[in-house]
Amino acid sequence: MSTTKQAFSVLADNHPGVLLRMAGLFSRRGFNIDSIVACTTENPEVSRLTVVVTGDEGIFTQVIRQLFKLEEIIKVEMLALADCTASEMLLVKVGAKDAAERTELLKLVQAYGGRVLDIGKTTVTVELTGETTELDGFVLGLEGFGIREMARSGVTVLQRGDTTIHDYTI
Amino acid sequence: MQLNGSDILMECLLEQGVDTVFGYPGGAVLNIYDALYKYSDRITHILTAHEQGAAHAADGFSRATGKVGVCIATSGPGATNLVTGIATAYMDSIPVVAITGNVPVNQLGRDSFQEIDITGVTMPITKHNFIVKDVNELADTVRKAFEIAQSGRPGPVLIDIPKDVSAAVTEYEKAGASTRRPVPAPKEVRIQKALEIIASCEKPLIYFGGGVILSGAEESLARFAKEQDIPVCSSMMGLGGFDPADPLWLGMVGMHGTVAANRAAKECDALFVCGARFSDRVAGDRTGFAPNAKVIHIDVDHAEFDKNVTAAVRIGGELKTVLEAFCERSEHHTHTAWCERVASMKTSAPLPMQDADALPDPRVILQTLRTLVDDDTVIATDVGQHQMWTAQHFEVRRPRTLLTSGGLGTMGYGLGAAIGAQCGTNNKRTVLITGDGSFHMNCNELATLASYNLPITVLVFDNRVLGMVRQWQKVFYGRRFSATDPERRTDFVTLAKAYGCNGLYMQTASEIEAVLKEALSIEGPVVVDCRLSKDVNVLPMIPPGKTVDDIIEAMEEE
Repeated sequence: MSTTKQAFSVLADNHPGVLLRMAGLFSRRGFNIDSIVACTTENPEVSRLTVVVTGDEGIFTQVIRQLFKLEEIIKVEMLALADCTASEMLLVKVGAKDAAERTELLKLVQAYGGRVLDIGKTTVTVELTGETTELDGFVLGLEGFGIREMARSGVTVLQRGDTTIHDYTI
Repeated sequence: MQLNGSDILMECLLEQGVDTVFGYPGGAVLNIYDALYKYSDRITHILTAHEQGAAHAADGFSRATGKVGVCIATSGPGATNLVTGIATAYMDSIPVVAITGNVPVNQLGRDSFQEIDITGVTMPITKHNFIVKDVNELADTVRKAFEIAQSGRPGPVLIDIPKDVSAAVTEYEKAGASTRRPVPAPKEVRIQKALEIIASCEKPLIYFGGGVILSGAEESLARFAKEQDIPVCSSMMGLGGFDPADPLWLGMVGMHGTVAANRAAKECDALFVCGARFSDRVAGDRTGFAPNAKVIHIDVDHAEFDKNVTAAVRIGGELKTVLEAFCERSEHHTHTAWCERVASMKTSAPLPMQDADALPDPRVILQTLRTLVDDDTVIATDVGQHQMWTAQHFEVRRPRTLLTSGGLGTMGYGLGAAIGAQCGTNNKRTVLITGDGSFHMNCNELATLASYNLPITVLVFDNRVLGMVRQWQKVFYGRRFSATDPERRTDFVTLAKAYGCNGLYMQTASEIEAVLKEALSIEGPVVVDCRLSKDVNVLPMIPPGKTVDDIIEAMEEE
């Protein structure tokens, strides 16, 4: 079985510790997490967690079955990254020691559709939201300027079309 | 009715039909123990010598009775002392509710005296756990804990109650006992597929595990096996789930299982897996275990499907329902040639002829014990050689009469479990078979046996070495006996007497029967120091990661 990336959307009771329970499950079963994002939803009693896992078919099936054993899990939806809109946000502080360098940097930001959030004496802080590969490309382009620090939100996904996670039954 | 948290806890335990709890008091559970004092006419509290003993007792109580076991410990060390017991229950899917105290809510997270984040600690070894920070949520949390513990694949649940919550007062309203959540009916298309295999297979085999006992499916299993003429083997956790006198019975399968069972697994063309999980102690080589078989895996826990061995048909649901559906909807079949072939491999290796003054042989002790206790007598074991000899040579004839730590392999489990079983089975005598290594771990519970004058017979298979590890060192580590020959000088008879129990020696083959009879007839607790040779091995043995083709049937004893 070949290794791919798979996104899982999970609805869970919005209890303290639910993220810990999920992360603990993944770590002790040896499932490989690329990213994990948790947030509340339109319903304050429900959290939505988005996990991207690297593995094969067998592992993905186990992920679903094991997740359902957690008491607080309400729904699990497995999404091939191709079938969903996936988005991630990047914040990055890049070095720009003079006007020339700053201009060059701003061109790159513009090309990627990023947004400048802050300009310091020797740095520029930029935000970019998009697909993971897009962010990866941007980060590569920034390396020449010197990345001082960066933070990425991890991937969030929603299915394409009119279907929602609420349409799923176990 | 206005009650404080501790009284609410008692009322909720009564709602669930709990009449016995095991535990140990401490600062954070003083309120709860005050309530136990008040409710002592309805809830019996058994005080153990150590919280680990209480956790194993709750587990043993549950295994022997089928009810949910309950244990109570204080915060901090009390709670962490439960951990091995909870993990033992978790690995064997035993429904236990563990109740711990904690420091008051406003002292949580400040490294207060005897504070531990026990919900964090026990997250990987419980089905679920709770910390109750509001007394208004206490009653429903307890009810939910009992529901979770029993539902689907059972397991332990922990409830952590800060000290101020057990004191706070709120309105309590009585409710009924929690029930198991209904299990969705098995999928018709899967049943259909299995029926096709039942009709077409020529060399079928049933391999079942503890799930049969947990779900009370032993009668359905027997019916299915007999109507379809299918030979049967089980994991250690399944022992007692099928009549060992039935000609279809091949014995235990796996590392120390019978040649017949392991050979049948290798040769079968259809394997019906009922409430079992292909542990590495059963299927050492996951691909070589039943290489030619279509696997029909029946389990209430869907996560067991394809976890270790890939199944051709996966049927999620109640074992009983599925097996009954098989019986209702399938023609009777016979597999005479196959049954005869596998039955012919059932050998009863002759036991060594012993000189009267030789050291007693553990296998003879177990076979003799079988003739002296009735079929309902609960036998607990610890972990090691004595455990495997028990599984091999003590015929377990009824479900819930063999209590043994299968998944976690917890040395020190047995005495606590025996206490729990004894308290759960109307004062019937319970027998613990243990080794000197295991018994050294938690023999402190002899104090509990004496306190309550429990009729428990402890047979210490005393070979003065850590026998199972030593056996592995003999086979796989060039006889380098590292740390397995501790040269302890413990005299278990003197030890038993120091605790206020009775003690007997068994030193020669000739006295096996007489000493056993005496030990079983003494009122109250008795420890028998059975002095064994350190060289007897557990055989047969399939080396880890190997198959029946590599089975070791004979080994030098020296």
